[in-house]
Amino acid sequence: MIVCVAVVGHQNNPLYIQSFTEADDALKLHHIVHCSLDVVDERVNNPKKSGPTLNETFLGLLYPTENYKVYGYLTNTKVKFILVTTDLDVRDVDVRNFFRRFHAAYVDAVSNPFHVPGKKITSRTFAERVSNIVKSFGLSST
Amino acid sequence: MGREVSESCIDSLLTEMVSSYCNHFYANKPELAARRIEAIGYQVGHQLSERYTMERPRFSDHLEAIKFICKDFWSELFKKQIDNLKTNHRGTFVLQDNRFRWLARMSLDPTADDAVPQDPADFAESKAAQAMSMYLYFPCGIIRGALSNLGIPCAVSADISNLPACSFVVRIKA
Repeated sequence: MIVCVAVVGHQNNPLYIQSFTEADDALKLHHIVHCSLDVVDERVNNPKKSGPTLNETFLGLLYPTENYKVYGYLTNTKVKFILVTTDLDVRDVDVRNFFRRFHAAYVDAVSNPFHVPGKKITSRTFAERVSNIVKSFGLSST
Repeated sequence: MGREVSESCIDSLLTEMVSSYCNHFYANKPELAARRIEAIGYQVGHQLSERYTMERPRFSDHLEAIKFICKDFWSELFKKQIDNLKTNHRGTFVLQDNRFRWLARMSLDPTADDAVPQDPADFAESKAAQAMSMYLYFPCGIIRGALSNLGIPCAVSADISNLPACSFVVRIKA
């Protein structure tokens, strides 16, 4: 189950952050997202991979904690997407698929002429779309 | 399958936008009108670059981003690629389009054109050329918006030598 997703701008400014848990642990999840930003920077500045995966938008598993797994995605425009999940065995394909759909939703949201670039995304349509994507995460595989 | 827009609609919209800004909103201040039109282009380029770079790996250097503008970005916008790209390898790029779509249906006023050739300084002042250059602030803004969204701050200017060819000069700020 996905517990938190976040969009972070190129200056590490939060653009959208949403948790999907019943419990009141939003702050803890925000903290995890915050920590992952350093990992993203590290990945980008010291790329270990080479060949076709070099500079790929999907960054893979950023780091596992006791209860969560954190995945990252960095677009060409230096916007970061962070995904926090409680699932233990997550398939790479599912995460990639999730980020692709999430990116599409993000692009549509920022293409709104009333959206101010660099400001938080307040669109309700975007929030709904994201929660649909979150709900359908991993369903196609089972 | 992407949604498409009728080409003539875009042509008319561009013409109308330029004429609104030049003749109504900022009738006596052409440099203000130019700035506004460029800003609209900037926003458009900013949003389009987000969309068109979705499925591709991140660019590793400036040249790669410029190449993307010349090939994929231009194809999405104008169904053709930039015809010629020149660079001095020090941050200046010249993108030449031999048949720029938004100028393809425009012609200079022949009476204004006849008076021109004697003096090149006159040409810069010539009304026809000035009016034409107004239409180029929008595409300049698009290029600047796209590049700055990709993390490359730059200044873009346009240059029309002989219609409908057009070249865009991109100067990357260090």
